[in-house]
Amino acid sequence: MAVVAIREVRKKFGSAEVIHGVSIDIADGEFVVLVGPSGCGKSTLLRTIAGLEEISGGEIAIGDRVVNDLPPKQRDIAMVFQNYALYPHMTVAENMGFSLRLRGASKKEIETRVRPAAEILGLLPLLDRYPRQLSGGQRQRVAMGRAIVRNPQVFLFDEPLSNLDAKLRVQMRTEIKELHQRLKTTTIYVTHDQVEAMTMADKIVVMRDGVVEQVGAPLDLYDRPENLFVASFIGSPAMNVLEGRIAQDGSATFVTSAGAVLPLAHAPQGSAGRAAVYGIRPEHIGLANDGVSAEVVVVEPTGAEIQVFARIKGEEINAVFRERHRFASGDAIRLAPDPAQVHLFDSQTGRRIEGADPDQTLGEERRLEKTT
Amino acid sequence: MSSPAVAKEAVVIAATGERKPWLRPGELGGMLMLVPYILVFAAFVLYPVLYGLWLARHPASYATLIADPIFLRTVVNTLVFLVIAINVKMVLALLLSGFFMTPRWWIKVLALIFILPWALPSIPTILSVRFMLNPEWGIVNSTIFRLTLEDGPNWLNDPRLALTLAMLVHIWKALPFWTVILTAGRLAIPTELYEAAAIDGASAWQRFRFITWPSTRTLYLTCTLLSTIWTLGDFNSVYLLTGGGPADLTHVLATLGIRYLRLDQVDLYMAAVVCALPFVLPLVYFMTKRLSR
Repeated sequence: MAVVAIREVRKKFGSAEVIHGVSIDIADGEFVVLVGPSGCGKSTLLRTIAGLEEISGGEIAIGDRVVNDLPPKQRDIAMVFQNYALYPHMTVAENMGFSLRLRGASKKEIETRVRPAAEILGLLPLLDRYPRQLSGGQRQRVAMGRAIVRNPQVFLFDEPLSNLDAKLRVQMRTEIKELHQRLKTTTIYVTHDQVEAMTMADKIVVMRDGVVEQVGAPLDLYDRPENLFVASFIGSPAMNVLEGRIAQDGSATFVTSAGAVLPLAHAPQGSAGRAAVYGIRPEHIGLANDGVSAEVVVVEPTGAEIQVFARIKGEEINAVFRERHRFASGDAIRLAPDPAQVHLFDSQTGRRIEGADPDQTLGEERRLEKTT
Repeated sequence: MSSPAVAKEAVVIAATGERKPWLRPGELGGMLMLVPYILVFAAFVLYPVLYGLWLARHPASYATLIADPIFLRTVVNTLVFLVIAINVKMVLALLLSGFFMTPRWWIKVLALIFILPWALPSIPTILSVRFMLNPEWGIVNSTIFRLTLEDGPNWLNDPRLALTLAMLVHIWKALPFWTVILTAGRLAIPTELYEAAAIDGASAWQRFRFITWPSTRTLYLTCTLLSTIWTLGDFNSVYLLTGGGPADLTHVLATLGIRYLRLDQVDLYMAAVVCALPFVLPLVYFMTKRLSR
């Protein structure tokens, strides 16, 4: 276990810089997920931590050692690869014990380390099999077993679940989380799947185009996305975003470009008439008689909830209801966004406009209460 | 693969009680399509092979052949050639394939130059080596004389030296091909395996021993087999360089026939070819077995 510090790390391939000065602090035993769309540099960043790629600038420290110039084997890390990278000519037991064998450990020592790891992962009956004789989920477990046996300071996972089917993915997600709770080893986990990030992480790092967009606990990112990118990336189904202006007349409303009037908790100070983007999550839209009139386009019931795609003055909006409603395409309904859950973003920079949600003022009030 | 289909057919026949017609509708067209191939095969494979066997049908020819000291010498030469030249060549190819995998621009350029000996036609290249080795005016001995003021060795006049040089020419000419094949085989090994091994703490030798070799072993052995078959038939490297000389002491089975043709002994020529079959046929058998696995 160790803290990991990433300070102003840059990575260039030739003249193209793909990571532009990223800094992340990872606490001892923390489960950190790097998430972002493909090409955002998250895997490259992970590979620089592993030592599989050299960095072009900055500093990476594991524990109290700067590891910039250390080869992978001296960094005391273990990595689980997307396609598992199991040695095809070795059995499960040999795969798991390979690093120990390279260090010159005795057969007995290897076995005493491999067996408990295999037991944790339910691999005991498979120890003599070859990777080609295993299913995807089993291979995934062997890859994790190989990492556990090494008892490293840091676990690195590079999209480890993306080759599994949906059901297995959910199961392995839980297993990895359980494993982390058991071993408490600092873990850095890369994924493009925000659901994985939300469910597993202590801390999420959202990346785009080689920069960090936001760092925070899963629910903080969900509740207070710092910009439009994080807002639409975190959460499923994605947040609705509508362009328009904060009402001129100083009332707590927002007028979309198409002319629909949407509620705000209160308008941020001095923002009357300001061009902005209105963000509301589908699960924060309800039905009310005084709601905005909308036309139902598509209804998707999933059992637990109903997802409704509707149009407000021609603009698409997506709402999710936990109650059963019998909507049909073409129905006229009245949608009511919860003003307390509205996010406002600057239409130029995409940055969050503070002061739009009452939560923040509430937070300030709470802080005031504490200090007084 | 065909047995379930055959069984099914048998069941169908048993059930209907009908005999399978000699040609079913639609099969005649298929047969006709085969005719050109069968004709070519008969004219250019079957006929020459059978004619050769017919020429070599007299037991007396084999007695004469075995009694010829040159024949025994040739068999030994062939074995030496196969064992040494092929193994040296394949090991070098394996080492070089590792070198050519290094991603550097100048290695790509080097690879292009390296492949030339294989790509160029045999006759001019091997003959030019022969000219270079000419004891009087060849570039090798001229250089030796210029540097040491002494005459260089008479390269092709010493049977051992000449056979060694023939092997070197063979290696030089065939090495690029096998290097390319083995490089291709190694490129197919997923890079993640090497990365996983690097994290696990493997040294360069351990990476080769535990990842590269287990992954290329099958390919390497197949290549060695194939190369043995081809080398048995390699006429050029020996004949163009030494002509089988001096005194017919550097012949291999592939070139021996020429000696008997020159002596107008066609039956011995064919008998010599037949004598190579015990070498070739098992190799071909193993080869096809490996490939059909």
